[in-house]
Amino acid sequence: MTQVTTMDIEKIILNVANIIINELKLEDVTPETFNPDLDLVNSVGIDSMDLATIALVLRDEYGIRIDEDDYPKLTSIRLLSEYINKKLMDKN
Amino acid sequence: MNYKFADIISDTKIRQRWEKVRQYFFLRESTYDMTNRCNIQCEGCYYYEGDKQFAKENSELSAWKELMQSEKARGITFVVLAGAEPSLVPERCEVCYQVIPLGAIATNGLKCIPKSINYKIHISVWGNDETSYRIRNAKNMLSRQIENYHGDDRAVFIYTFTPKNIKEVHEVAKVLVENQCKLSFNMFSSPVGYSGDLRHNSDTLKHVYYTMIDLLAAYPEHILFSHYNAIAHTHLFGLHHLYGCSYPRMNPSTDIGLGRSFRQYRADLSWDRSVACCVPDTDCNDCRHYASGSAVVTARLFRHATDPDHFKAWLDYIDTYLAVWVMGYEKGNNLCETAIEPPGYELQEDTRN
Repeated sequence: MTQVTTMDIEKIILNVANIIINELKLEDVTPETFNPDLDLVNSVGIDSMDLATIALVLRDEYGIRIDEDDYPKLTSIRLLSEYINKKLMDKN
Repeated sequence: MNYKFADIISDTKIRQRWEKVRQYFFLRESTYDMTNRCNIQCEGCYYYEGDKQFAKENSELSAWKELMQSEKARGITFVVLAGAEPSLVPERCEVCYQVIPLGAIATNGLKCIPKSINYKIHISVWGNDETSYRIRNAKNMLSRQIENYHGDDRAVFIYTFTPKNIKEVHEVAKVLVENQCKLSFNMFSSPVGYSGDLRHNSDTLKHVYYTMIDLLAAYPEHILFSHYNAIAHTHLFGLHHLYGCSYPRMNPSTDIGLGRSFRQYRADLSWDRSVACCVPDTDCNDCRHYASGSAVVTARLFRHATDPDHFKAWLDYIDTYLAVWVMGYEKGNNLCETAIEPPGYELQEDTRN
């Protein structure tokens, strides 16, 4: 099994942040300045359709299966990244 | 074959439609009973089921304005004004419009709603004039509705199919088209405890399906609907079974989406999460409402993004939803002209291509 390091998680976090910024056309934030613990629903104002779109792009990006019941709970960059990380580890 | 989402939307027509509809993902809906009163009394009316009809009507415009401002503050961007008959209280509708400028009004169409309220207006049609007189006790209903709303780009006539009025939709559609009116479809869905003969069965569902498809082919410019709408709303299984209703009444999650933001206010401006949905007091097992599908099917983007055909069917559904509900949105040509099954289910017998 692949050992996932802190560095891997940080890479995923930056990539997820980048995807969210692109998909939601967010301004005044970069992947580096995007707080990964920020609640995307309460603080950024995203809704279920936005989150579904992000989940579809992440599914493509990482080649992982994302369950429909799972993604609505993944409401921060960190939660999304940890979920991706776990799926990647399971895959390997 | 497993498709990537990027592959699905690489098709030009799909991508253009996807980019068009996703601009409306900001819509967050709630619904409001504007008054307890109505100018007609219809058999099977949802408003007069359950106890919402007994809420004490709030007639203070300042209270309505305050409610709308607080709704806007919590992120509501789209209001649906209904129950019992909103056209009887145009001043309240006006207050709502002034605060939240996107919305729709469900009306029987007998009293004209002022043009200054630029919401979509859904005019309920339950058959020809003979049928309307019998079950709604109103004379010359269709001609009065048309007189009030022909040429009005707010208006969409919503024909509710019951087991008893399927054939007469043809004459109603012809009259509406001759008068340049837009038409869409609803399905009678039984209120809780209803066991009367307006409840659909497998035979009437099939009959409605073919009727919808025939009309869609006959009047593509005037009928706001798609093949997938017909599949979803006439399937033997109701919408909750097929898609999992996302309204609070059937959805305990408050994480995100309708379960988090949707409220259904009664005429006294109170609301109760345990009964909140688009048409309260409907039997969820029999729910095929157009209003319900507009939220429940559209919310299922993720499960339709599996292959081009399912995604095109979903795009047609959301394109229809936006054309019916949102002022200024023009419906495009349907992308999917074949019968596509709801994800995880089979097509009903006889509805296969």
